[in-house]
Amino acid sequence: MPSHSVPLTPGLASFLKTLKTNPIDTSIENLISLLKRRQIRHSRSCATATAHLLRSVISACRTSDASKLIERVQSVGRRLIAAQPREMVVGNIVRRVLGLIRDEAEDDRDGDFTLSEAGSESQPQTPRPGDDPFDRSVSKPISSLATHPVSMFSLLSHPDSETSLPGTPATASPSGRLPGHTPNKDIRAEVLDGINEIIDELGQVDDQIAAYALDHIHSNEIILTHTSSTTVQKFLLKAAAKRKFTVIHAESYPNNHEATHATVSGKAPDDDEIISTESFQKPLIAHGITVILIPDSAVFALMSRVNKVILGTHSVLANGGLVAAAGTRVIARAAKVHQTPVVVVSGVYKLSPVYPFDFDSLIEYGDSSKVIGYEDGDLVDQIDVQNPLYDYVPAELVDLYITNLGGHAPSYLYRIVSDHYRKEDISF
Amino acid sequence: MEQSQPQPQPQSQGQKVSLKPAKPAKQQQPPQDKTAASAPADAAGGDKLSPAELKKRAKAEKAARRAREKSERDLAGGAAGGQGPNTLPGKKGSDAGASAGAPAAKAQKAIPRRGSAQPGSQGGVAVVKKKQEDKTVAVFGHLYGQQRRTTIAGAGKEVHPAVLALGLQLRDYVICGSSARCVATLLAFKRVIESYTTPKGTSLSRHLTTHLSHQITYLSTCRPLSISQGNAIRALKLEISSIDPSVPETEAKPSLCEFIDSFIREKITVADQVIAGSAAQKIKDGDVVVTFAGSSIVKQTLLTAFKQGKKFRVSIIDSRPLFEGKNLARTLANAGLEVQYSLISGISHAIKDATKVFLGAHAMTSNGRLYSRVGTALVAMSAKERAGGVEIPVLVCCETVKFTDRVALDSIVVNEIADADELVLTQPPHQLTDLPDPAAAPGPEPKKGSKTDPSESLAALNTTGSPLKDWRDTRNLQLLNLMYDVTPAEYVDMVVTEMGSLPPSAVPIVHRMSTNM
Repeated sequence: MPSHSVPLTPGLASFLKTLKTNPIDTSIENLISLLKRRQIRHSRSCATATAHLLRSVISACRTSDASKLIERVQSVGRRLIAAQPREMVVGNIVRRVLGLIRDEAEDDRDGDFTLSEAGSESQPQTPRPGDDPFDRSVSKPISSLATHPVSMFSLLSHPDSETSLPGTPATASPSGRLPGHTPNKDIRAEVLDGINEIIDELGQVDDQIAAYALDHIHSNEIILTHTSSTTVQKFLLKAAAKRKFTVIHAESYPNNHEATHATVSGKAPDDDEIISTESFQKPLIAHGITVILIPDSAVFALMSRVNKVILGTHSVLANGGLVAAAGTRVIARAAKVHQTPVVVVSGVYKLSPVYPFDFDSLIEYGDSSKVIGYEDGDLVDQIDVQNPLYDYVPAELVDLYITNLGGHAPSYLYRIVSDHYRKEDISF
Repeated sequence: MEQSQPQPQPQSQGQKVSLKPAKPAKQQQPPQDKTAASAPADAAGGDKLSPAELKKRAKAEKAARRAREKSERDLAGGAAGGQGPNTLPGKKGSDAGASAGAPAAKAQKAIPRRGSAQPGSQGGVAVVKKKQEDKTVAVFGHLYGQQRRTTIAGAGKEVHPAVLALGLQLRDYVICGSSARCVATLLAFKRVIESYTTPKGTSLSRHLTTHLSHQITYLSTCRPLSISQGNAIRALKLEISSIDPSVPETEAKPSLCEFIDSFIREKITVADQVIAGSAAQKIKDGDVVVTFAGSSIVKQTLLTAFKQGKKFRVSIIDSRPLFEGKNLARTLANAGLEVQYSLISGISHAIKDATKVFLGAHAMTSNGRLYSRVGTALVAMSAKERAGGVEIPVLVCCETVKFTDRVALDSIVVNEIADADELVLTQPPHQLTDLPDPAAAPGPEPKKGSKTDPSESLAALNTTGSPLKDWRDTRNLQLLNLMYDVTPAEYVDMVVTEMGSLPPSAVPIVHRMSTNM
């Protein structure tokens, strides 16, 4: 382990800090062990770490041969995925980077294709982000301006980078611009730009999702949510700026209740590595939103008064189902029984092309001492204590997904998957 | 924190009455001038109260207010305004807002009664309001009622010591569970009856019921009575009132005690054995039985089945804040059963390989719904909606004494709200890793921090451990601690009672049969 990280608790922050100074192989080992030890564990942290690592990997890779790059990324990606197979975002990011490289390689080979998959890929994305202009202008990344002349891969990796340009319909631009740029362009530079855009996307995905909040939350609504998901909080906060509603917050004991309590009461979460920069935002209660904290058991009792259930997620699967914090499934069921719509907010990066044949393999079991503490040690000897961390929620329990591209029915997700990942990368 | 003695009750009632006539008076009156006497009279007419009645109320109200102010002073102001007064300021505010400006002030002055009533109460309310906003969850406003009693101070002198003790035990969940509360209440009442002597000039059958009502009122201020308690008390009162006044006290008292004993025996002890016996028959070798929280009758059933040599596994689902399943798990594990334990978040995993669900009941309502510990409905629902389409049978074990003629559609109209502070984690989980720290936490914390770095971070963890600590001072944040929920009848396949195993739709019939007997 690198000596720099000693003062820091191992985690995303320490990893990113040491990424620049350490040799690349050390960094890879570092991330693998962090993933294995669950010291980086939230979807976003994993995604950010993976993207940063792959950027270093590619910049350290002294070749412009696409197939060699792909090989290198694949081998790193395989090891990362093996380190923590249940963090599916790691695989998602690796696949997207692979897709970037392949696109570049194809662009190089034939600059004048018009109707391949790449052209159709960007179609569903480009028009959508255009309808949320206020948020975009605030959170516009600097790097996306800097990387303006990148070619069409940016359209698919980072949908909003070119929305400010009016005349860039997907079919017209590539064929028009590419021949001039690509011939002896360094693939690596292009790919690095693409990865930067993925990193940017990870940074602003919550704000993009939040921009749709007013379309989905009406006044005086009673909304039930679960866990301390930042995506959900930002979504609700955005709506809270304009509308008054009530939030019922199930505390998700025992795995996330502390963070939930902190979120609800507006105390800054202490060890939150994901949102260190943004954690100083005002809580919902400061916006005059009544927040009612309930134990998870009271969900059914209250569901008859709830207008909408808004859930965060760990990852979304291609079949429209999702893997989310334990307890989500019961909540979604209860909502279904009461005919309450269930809305899942999730960044596109959580969308995994993996189809789950064995649902049990997706579920991770956590620390059982959170369920029965050490003060009941005698009990632990005698009984089997279980603490599942995740639930698989089937697609039929979800009514709507809201991603940074807009709202989708669960049945449409496969299409977004095919937009974002290339077939050859799905199982690499 | 506050003591909800009988005193605030009449006061708030009185206030409501005094406010009501004032409202129409104000709306009509601004142009008219201070015909002070006629205004309340008008309004009173509208409210169907004769002036004499109104005067009487006002007097009562005044007395109550004085009493309250006195008790307030005694309690150093902390106790001001229970839920009753707390609901009023809103009304008052809107009143004042509606008829803004000088006329309002004039009208206020013009009605001396209200004017005199207001300063006191308003002052008190204002103080309270500054300290804490209304923390009642709006939908459940009707359930908050009185705050639970915190001490035995102020309990009526009629209340028997055994009942006093029972009240505190009920409040602290020392005695918890519908049957246990019922038995404990009956046993306490038996002692009340044993030590009871009929005052001169009344008969036992007349006076004992009122004497018992004092005990019951006290108990219900500690924790709202359970359905089973209510049923038992009703039966006892019926028995008392059926005693011939000519029967001497020395004969009546033993017969009442005998009645209580046989009631406990028939309705609960034997009933439990019968239920456990017939429910245990439903368990087969290889079963995985899921149960929720800690029901005594389910425990008995499982132990009975285990004693019969059946090989099965038990999966207990538990929930915050009571963790009743822990005791059940301990008992079953000690008896040698194979037990799996998870919390409510793990329902879908626990239910995955389950073959039967056994649930206890707080009550069965007349429309066949199961009224039980909050979370039961989630378990029953998961059993019925398991992925793969296989439904797991849900069995409810319930004595007929828990049947009620009340009906319930949702968990909101009828429910019990426990103290929300129970949800605040009092000790952060980190505490146990560093034992000396929490003990010394409040005082020498900074010193410690200067000594060593790790203990400082630990101390910080301890202080941030429960961000809900001061939730009452946090605006717009509410905590809700429901006790029960209502499980739809379609989730329940069978109700096992001492009178046989029934579908939930048979509950009203059985209830009628058992109460008519």
